[in-house]
Amino acid sequence: MLKVDQLVKTFGGMTALAGISLTVPDRSILGVLGMNGSGKTTMLNCINGIYEATAGEISLDGVSLIGKAPHAVFSEGVGRTFQVPRIFPQMSLLENLAVALLNKGLSNAQVAEISAHWLNKVELYRLRHNYAEELSGGQQKLLELARIMVANPKLVLLDEPFAGVNPSLALLLIGIIREMPQEVGCSVMLVSHDLTSVYELSDNILVMHEGHVLAEGNAEAIQKNPDVIEAYLGA
Amino acid sequence: MSDETRETRIEAQNPLSASQKNPEKTSHIKSLIWGGVVTLIILAFLPVPLFTTNLSFMFYMMLWLTMATSFNFVAGMAGYMPFGYVAFYGIGAYATGVLYKTFGLPIPIALAGAAAAGVAIGLLLAPTLRLKGVYFGIVSLALAMAMKLIISLMPAKITGGSLGLILSGANDPTMAYYAMFIVLLGALAAGTWLSMSRLGIALRAIRDDREAAEVVGVNVVRTRLKAWVMATMFPSLVGGVEAWYTNAIDLESSFNLLVTAKSIVYAMAGGLGFLVGPIVGASALYGIDQLIWRHFPTLNLLILGVVIIALMLLLPRGIVGAFAQRFSRFRRFIP
Repeated sequence: MLKVDQLVKTFGGMTALAGISLTVPDRSILGVLGMNGSGKTTMLNCINGIYEATAGEISLDGVSLIGKAPHAVFSEGVGRTFQVPRIFPQMSLLENLAVALLNKGLSNAQVAEISAHWLNKVELYRLRHNYAEELSGGQQKLLELARIMVANPKLVLLDEPFAGVNPSLALLLIGIIREMPQEVGCSVMLVSHDLTSVYELSDNILVMHEGHVLAEGNAEAIQKNPDVIEAYLGA
Repeated sequence: MSDETRETRIEAQNPLSASQKNPEKTSHIKSLIWGGVVTLIILAFLPVPLFTTNLSFMFYMMLWLTMATSFNFVAGMAGYMPFGYVAFYGIGAYATGVLYKTFGLPIPIALAGAAAAGVAIGLLLAPTLRLKGVYFGIVSLALAMAMKLIISLMPAKITGGSLGLILSGANDPTMAYYAMFIVLLGALAAGTWLSMSRLGIALRAIRDDREAAEVVGVNVVRTRLKAWVMATMFPSLVGGVEAWYTNAIDLESSFNLLVTAKSIVYAMAGGLGFLVGPIVGASALYGIDQLIWRHFPTLNLLILGVVIIALMLLLPRGIVGAFAQRFSRFRRFIP
């Protein structure tokens, strides 16, 4: 279970996160909504160690993630994707996945087997020897997702997974994300502007506004929340 | 271009070529090509002393092949530019000279000491491996200048002062030639291992996207450190062997920034990131450099500069890189 308690992040005089608290139970999906600049990506960056939190506590299954470098946070079981996919362009798809398995102590055959499973899952197996830069933007998002899933994470942080993805690939992504908690056994934090997908996939939804939690609840409650309607959803 | 259009294009371009259907065959062909290149190098350099006593051209060709190959470990595989690479060349030269001349150690031990000195100074720089991009390059450049200054301030009875050191008793060009040959083979072996190992995969991930590599578990500093140690050892050995070959060491030539510049240019001209890139670049440009020097000795650097500018403008990814880009279906066969 991910637990974030009173998380604060400031950049000079600007406060990006002003005491965020949340929990993501095991095998559940937390959707995170919010306007641009509300602090969603900053929160992900603090959780996976790209940013050092100014104050507060972040723990996964009771283990504190505060002060840990991104590679150490990954070793604790936190995988993360980016809004603009950050694949390794001059490496093959198989090599992209192998990077995430380097420190797992697996044999080459095991690496190949796990990679093949996930490349099949994201329907990229036929391109496994292609260079990642040859993929479309949507395919790169799928590759990035497969790259963290091979490591069997406990928590997956997805930053705008549907942005710039065509409808057929988005459907594939939605299917995979929906299955992740039960099939893989991980929790998911899904940051997205795609309201329909967030409502459909999330067990619980958090709405952020200017570094604060504006509202939290299930899809129905969020859609009826007057503060959310005023600040985010519109009339 | 929409995702769907691109996906259709990719599928059309990649109708599961023979190499994709049989990746083992691809890897086998790649290994064969690389094995062929290494065999050619061995055949080209090994017998030379049997036929001539004028070893200079081939000796310096090996020197630049080694410098460009080991430069590729950091620039091509890990993606960062040590502008002060000459520091290790100079440290190697001086360590060899001091250990041989001042402390009376035999040349092989002096060379081992040169490698150890280069690695030790490289390890001192380890904290700067956290720096990104050009900042690391600038720090390494400062190191080269600092090392030159430190050696110039050391007692003349140790380093020879402004006159440098003369290793007259060590004169054996043929043995020095073969020492450079062994160093070159060592660099090629290290490059081969790096390109096939898990360390090599981690390095290429860092080169492509440092932050993304860290986010998927790569300890960037530790991984870079391993490549850095390898990359510092070879120029130190090269500097030491060159000192043995010429029997002369002085500050200006040992810490001449042209050594870094040529290592960069030769590696880039061939194509960073490919094992064969530095080989092709160093062979082609060193040959051109020597031709220009013989025919236009006063305009040597000017004409070479023009050739390099033209090469960078026309082939920014280098000769091998341009080939791989133009004939992308063959890229996976290029070692």
